[in-house]
Amino acid sequence: MKTKAGSKAASLLIFLVLTVFAIFCLAPFFFLLISSLRPGAEMIRNGISFNVDFTALNLNNYWLLLEGKDGIYLLWYINSAIITVLHTLLSLLVTSMVGYGLAMYEFKGKNLIFTIVLVVMMIPVEILILPLYKLAIGIEMINTYMGVIMPFVVAPMSIFFFRQYAESLPKELLDAGRIDGCGEFRIFFQIMMPLMLPAFGAMGILQAMFSWNGFVWPLIVLRSNDMLTLPIGLQSLITPYGNNYDMLFPGAVMSVIPIILLFIINQKAFISGLTVGGVKG
Amino acid sequence: MADPSVIGLGKPFIRRSRLKQLFSSQKTAPYVFVLPFILSFLVFFLYPIVSTVIMSFQRIDGPGDITFIGLQNYKNLLNPHFFNAVWLTTRYTFWTILVLVPLPLVLSIFLNKKTTIGKNFFRSAFFMPALTSVIVAGLFFRLAFGEQQTTLVNSMLGVFGIKPTIWLQDADASMFVMVLLCTWRWMGVNIIYFLSGLQGIPEELYEAAAIDGASEFEQFLHITLPSLKPVIMYVVTISVYGGYSMFAESFALWNGPRSPGEIGMTIVNYIYQEGFNNNNLGFGSAIGIALFAIVMAVNLLQLFSSGFFKKEGT
Amino acid sequence: MKKSLAILLSTVLLLAMILSGCGAKTSTAKTGDIKPTTLNFWTFQELHKGFMDDAVATWNKNHPDKPIVLKTDVYPYDEQHNKLLIALQSGTGAPDIVDIEISKFANFLKGSKPGLVELNDVVEPVKDKLIMGRMENYAKDGKYYGIDYHVGAEVMYYNKALFEQAGVNINDIVTWDDYIAAGKKIVEKTGKPMTTLETTEHWSYYPLINMQGSDLLGKNGEVILDNEINKKTLEMLKDMLYKDKIAVPAPGGFHHSEEYWAWMNKGNAASVWMPMWYMGRFVQYMPDLKGQMVIRPMPIFPGGKKSAGMGGTGTAITTQGKNIELAKQFLAEAKLSKDGSIKTWSLLGFDPIRSDAWTDPAMSADNKYTDYFGTDIFNTLKAVIGDIGSINVGAKFPNAITLLQKNICFKVLKEQSQTPEQALKEAAEELRTK
Repeated sequence: MKTKAGSKAASLLIFLVLTVFAIFCLAPFFFLLISSLRPGAEMIRNGISFNVDFTALNLNNYWLLLEGKDGIYLLWYINSAIITVLHTLLSLLVTSMVGYGLAMYEFKGKNLIFTIVLVVMMIPVEILILPLYKLAIGIEMINTYMGVIMPFVVAPMSIFFFRQYAESLPKELLDAGRIDGCGEFRIFFQIMMPLMLPAFGAMGILQAMFSWNGFVWPLIVLRSNDMLTLPIGLQSLITPYGNNYDMLFPGAVMSVIPIILLFIINQKAFISGLTVGGVKG
Repeated sequence: MADPSVIGLGKPFIRRSRLKQLFSSQKTAPYVFVLPFILSFLVFFLYPIVSTVIMSFQRIDGPGDITFIGLQNYKNLLNPHFFNAVWLTTRYTFWTILVLVPLPLVLSIFLNKKTTIGKNFFRSAFFMPALTSVIVAGLFFRLAFGEQQTTLVNSMLGVFGIKPTIWLQDADASMFVMVLLCTWRWMGVNIIYFLSGLQGIPEELYEAAAIDGASEFEQFLHITLPSLKPVIMYVVTISVYGGYSMFAESFALWNGPRSPGEIGMTIVNYIYQEGFNNNNLGFGSAIGIALFAIVMAVNLLQLFSSGFFKKEGT
Repeated sequence: MKKSLAILLSTVLLLAMILSGCGAKTSTAKTGDIKPTTLNFWTFQELHKGFMDDAVATWNKNHPDKPIVLKTDVYPYDEQHNKLLIALQSGTGAPDIVDIEISKFANFLKGSKPGLVELNDVVEPVKDKLIMGRMENYAKDGKYYGIDYHVGAEVMYYNKALFEQAGVNINDIVTWDDYIAAGKKIVEKTGKPMTTLETTEHWSYYPLINMQGSDLLGKNGEVILDNEINKKTLEMLKDMLYKDKIAVPAPGGFHHSEEYWAWMNKGNAASVWMPMWYMGRFVQYMPDLKGQMVIRPMPIFPGGKKSAGMGGTGTAITTQGKNIELAKQFLAEAKLSKDGSIKTWSLLGFDPIRSDAWTDPAMSADNKYTDYFGTDIFNTLKAVIGDIGSINVGAKFPNAITLLQKNICFKVLKEQSQTPEQALKEAAEELRTK
């Protein structure tokens, strides 16, 4: 049996270790924020550094962000928002259906389909950038929102997750619904979906995050400056022919804020969605 | 969350036609449920794979300017750049797995303890980096690991009397930066996975073990680890996937696919460089096929060694 | 208050525009009652945008019957070239006019049907007035596809203050031996390196082999990368770093990195050799050196040339444009006319490609470059312009440059993991099999 003091010391040690790692995780945010308030010339001179002249901090860069380059930044913001919302809604709808279908029913080919889901999950999409790009040209999806969204809406990871979650749903409800004369889809949308809400919360955040931060594919599909999403737009501010640090840092900060807010608002749903194994809603 | 049943899906329920009956009968419904996946798989996965295989036997000079060149692209693959890319990506994957399995596992056990204070804060703090885009993360790491004396990392090392390091122009130092960047972004995600696994372990097991006089470490070894095996396997699998498809981190650190001495040239960077910078779609496709083969091999190996297939039968 | 209101309003407008399904279009400014034609222009160089905007203003003055509106997009270097490749391959989405950097140009001339417009009908009439060596870089089978901005003469930028401190006269440096000897003195007296060498790009190495009549590729595109001159020159650079110790690797790896600019701005090196167009980088990123830097001809090799024509950007017209003829006329006036050529100097500090521009009095007028470097820059340039090495740009050029940057220079000069001979041979063999 452990002494009380011993376990207290252990708790303290654990707390310290966690604190160190928390600092490691949060420090970059702090420095990005500080850097966004500093003149761009300073960044070019010293990189991100400790010697900050706190008196010289100002919001000028943020004004520049709104006005610089004909307000292109706002456009990127809106593009990112549209793509993220569309992607997330579509993705949740279809992947929850597929996951549910795989979990709830016995049918011919079910195992084959599930195996394919697993295989697709294991294949890095990056392998397919060249043929997908050819395909996107062929079906005229280059430089469109749909071109960014469509190839990755049916995310196998999300299917896998919904299937796992739906496995835990009580099958009796399905039978009860049938006895009441509901069709299979009505059962899904009206009875099962509410039960799967935590899973929706979790996957919604994840999919929104992937979409908001997506880089490889948008980099290839999007072409004109006014169609770019935030990550691609920010990347385009770094060039050997002049770095727009004064726009880059505030741009980076502003791009992180909405997704953090979303996380904070939905955190409960997210954590419980990932951690609740039972059927508790 | 908006309930998707509200969005235009009320319509089919107004008229109960025979078609709808058939459509939502128990026999056909499951197929309708999985239809989106089948369509997406055919159009955005199978077709591209087939077309990439075809392209890998061609030289493509422009639209309608295509020559069949047999295995030439694959012969060209056997070059130092490709070997370097494979070796670099493999090393990167190895290091990320080595860091990103044990570390989050330990931290998640700490977080799962009843006595730990500030659980929610820590969990959120660890997860925050995952919310950033690679470009934002890359921007920070690039400048924090800048080579001047004044940069964040160099000035920290300076306190310990270590000379400024030129991080992004050295193979080992830049590998460290890449793995650190990956750790920063993904640690929190893996912690969440492990936490969910930990919370699925019945408390009674630990209580029974404690009554039997098992130490905390023994409990970890005989209860926690075996119970977490599926989660660990899942995390390793996505790490292999993520490691071998690494692209954006390197792209952000060196501002493009090309890095000095190819110290950041991952396989996907190589595909990108050949396909988009050098306009060799055919050769790029051949690299893609090679990457496909490598990832499949590594994953199958890992699944076999962990006995995944044996369990599937039950 | 006013400002925030304006922003709010513009946001609302922007949203309204997007929701109504029309993107941000350029306003069609009415000039007279003729509707101007909109031409799209892509570049990777912010400075070029200014030049082109000025050219459009001139054009609209001269041709009120054919007014133009130029919509310019500035993209990162690699991104722009990738986008262009994608656009040309897919047959849609290319701009009317586009800047293509010299080391990428060959990628766009692959195959039997390049997506660029042949410019012979505007080039031929002024052939005798152009420094044609620059035009050949963007040609294939006698057809010209791009027009350069400059000659790109390689020059030496010296830091006067450090030379005075060390008691060395800049004008005494004629040969490379003189340069190395002076460098040793500088290091001894000031403790600062004579120069920096690029380890991840080619601007330190390439001009030197070029001044000796060597190159990466031969006249017919054959690989000559591993010849004796190239080996010797790479040895020489390596010795500067590690034997004579008069040079250090450029901070950041190349002379276009923030690290280098910040470092050099503090007066940390006594000299650097870069092309004439690099003046703009000094003015923009190294303001503290104003009045301290002077420009002199390159040190020479025995029997070598006085300078080399380095870098370049060919402005081309794509076959996808709807107004190809107009774009061609505009481009010719902007870059092939004498006035346009003079503008490349006064606006951009580039050495013009038209030889008759060189004798024009407008060239010796003051501008921001003479303010920074002193009034003798133009004479320095005149002294070398007649003796400039030209480069051979074959189909393998893009690959050769990449290998030179990321493998040869880096492995030999920075990592020291390969000898000059090994590195050059390995790269040459790889190029030959491609």
